[in-house]
Amino acid sequence: MAHTAAGAQLQIASHSGAEGGSGGGRSSVAPGPASDPVIVARSVTAGYENRRTKTRLIALRDVSLEIQRGEFLAIVGPSGCGKSTFINMVAGFVRPLEGTVEVDGQPVRGTGSDRAMVFQDYALLPWRTVERNVLFAMENRRNKPSKSEQAARVAEALSLVGLTGFEKAYPHELSGGMRQRVGIARALVTKPDILLMDEPFGAVDAMTREAMQAEFERIIAQTRQTVVFITHSIDEAVMLGDRVVVISNRPGTIKEVVDVDLPRPRLTGDAKGSLRFAELREHIWSLLQDEALGAQEAK
Amino acid sequence: MNPMTTTSSTSATTTDPAARQIGGGKVVEELQVSRFAPFRNTAITVVNLGIFFVIWEVVARAEVLNPLFFPRISATFEAMYTGFRDGVIAPQLGHSLSNLLIGLLISAAIGIPVGLFMGASRTADLILSPYVWAMTSLPRVALIPLLILMLGFGNGMQLTIIVLSAVFPIMVNCMAGVKTVDPSLLRAGRVFGAGRGQMYTKIILPFTLPFVISGINQGIARGLVGMLIGELLGGGGSGLGFLLDRAGDQFDAPMLYATLLILAVMSVALVQLMRWLERRVAPWRDVAA
Ligand SMILES: Nc1ncnc2c1ncn2[C@@H]1O[C@H](COP(=O)(O)OP(=O)(O)O)[C@@H](O)[C@H]1O
Ligand SMILES: [Mg+2]
Repeated sequence: MAHTAAGAQLQIASHSGAEGGSGGGRSSVAPGPASDPVIVARSVTAGYENRRTKTRLIALRDVSLEIQRGEFLAIVGPSGCGKSTFINMVAGFVRPLEGTVEVDGQPVRGTGSDRAMVFQDYALLPWRTVERNVLFAMENRRNKPSKSEQAARVAEALSLVGLTGFEKAYPHELSGGMRQRVGIARALVTKPDILLMDEPFGAVDAMTREAMQAEFERIIAQTRQTVVFITHSIDEAVMLGDRVVVISNRPGTIKEVVDVDLPRPRLTGDAKGSLRFAELREHIWSLLQDEALGAQEAK
Repeated sequence: MNPMTTTSSTSATTTDPAARQIGGGKVVEELQVSRFAPFRNTAITVVNLGIFFVIWEVVARAEVLNPLFFPRISATFEAMYTGFRDGVIAPQLGHSLSNLLIGLLISAAIGIPVGLFMGASRTADLILSPYVWAMTSLPRVALIPLLILMLGFGNGMQLTIIVLSAVFPIMVNCMAGVKTVDPSLLRAGRVFGAGRGQMYTKIILPFTLPFVISGINQGIARGLVGMLIGELLGGGGSGLGFLLDRAGDQFDAPMLYATLLILAVMSVALVQLMRWLERRVAPWRDVAA
């Protein structure tokens, strides 16, 4: 295990060397006092109407949040608290009932090439090979690069997630972990500013999950994208997030935003064994436990 | 490029347990499969049928059952042979087959687009559904008197009944296909910039294709029944149904059985053809199940 991870690190080190120049101004941006919000939610309330029962379910109430450029924001909360609703509003699938969600200063009107998504159930096209699934992210755009450039980018994205050699495989021939790597490669291939991930490792077994977290931390350190990452694992949120947003039970409101001040890289380092990690984890756990108890009392 | 020559780098970047090699340093190993393996099922079928025919012959010769409606298999094959030799069967078989194929083509040409449209548009579904469901559930035989009244005993009537039999299962399946498209695939389409047309060509239609094929499969089965009904009850004087009818009238049991055998072979062949087609167009379904 350790040997494999080190091998992957080495390979990527040379990769990032080649890419270093293209990072431009973004590479100097770190989450912190320098405020450059890229996603801004202002007093957002969201819900779903049910025409049959003539009711409206409020999933999120009065949520305000600023996500900084280059930040890795993790969201945790009990299931059904509106995490997916939030990320779907940023993606452009769901509209707020009240308030606004802005990306780069513009209210979100629909999906856009500046935002890519990784789905919990992978959402790969089963009739397409791995490489053609990744290609799908590029081929629909109006200002797409040349064919050869597209092929080069697909190969690059696949090597980034360690799937070189599987270009011609179909999704059903791959394990869950490998399928989700295809999903990640598809989201990365256009180098979008924002990566939206809704429980991306939720359906992956524990061992694979940890390996994928490490790989993903490494990839993001390199691409410096803004990431919104939903998870129901507190460990995962603390290991990956610059900040962790804890959402309360229905209707979802922001209970607390926890700063994670652990040095990076965390997954290849020994962050998990540190005292600070244990503290943060304990803190978030107690916040969520309140929620679980609150939900029971409500019944 | 070649996965075989880059195994070392592949294993270095792969941390997924499922992607590790089983042994021998290769990711893909050659399996030892007997050269005769593909023919095994065929051989079993041949032996199976052979035994069945032998038992048939023995039982028929013992005359346990009245030979008037249970002829020897040898007599049946003989009737088939002379039927083909004297040109009694071939024209009728040709008539039936071409009617069936033309009827299926017309059914597909109507059923596929209408079904897709009904799947895509709620309004179209609401308006057309009552008629489609009524026609799907109505026994086809009930229409024969009306069709004879309208179209007489000619080929038009026979073709119409085939189309009426086959078109609705095709339509209903296509509609179901469009309606059951995985919503997260549709979301992926939107996230990755697919426009309205691309949603159809790249997601909805490929997803629906296996449904279209199983619709055609059902269409074949229903169309075959429609074909026989038309030929038996329509009294048009042609087709395999007519051969059956005449053989029955003439107490020609071997000919009756020969025609039944031909019908069986014909429908099995059509179903097998569609299965093969299904595997070709949707190879992922085979393994995913
Ligand atoms: N498309 C929808 N239609 C109706 N209700 C929905 C829909 N999507 C989610 N909901 C409801 O909204 C609430 C929040 O859902 P969701 O955002 O998916 O929660 P989470 O991702 O945190 O588990 C849940 O009660 C869920 O049942
Ligand atoms: Mg969710």
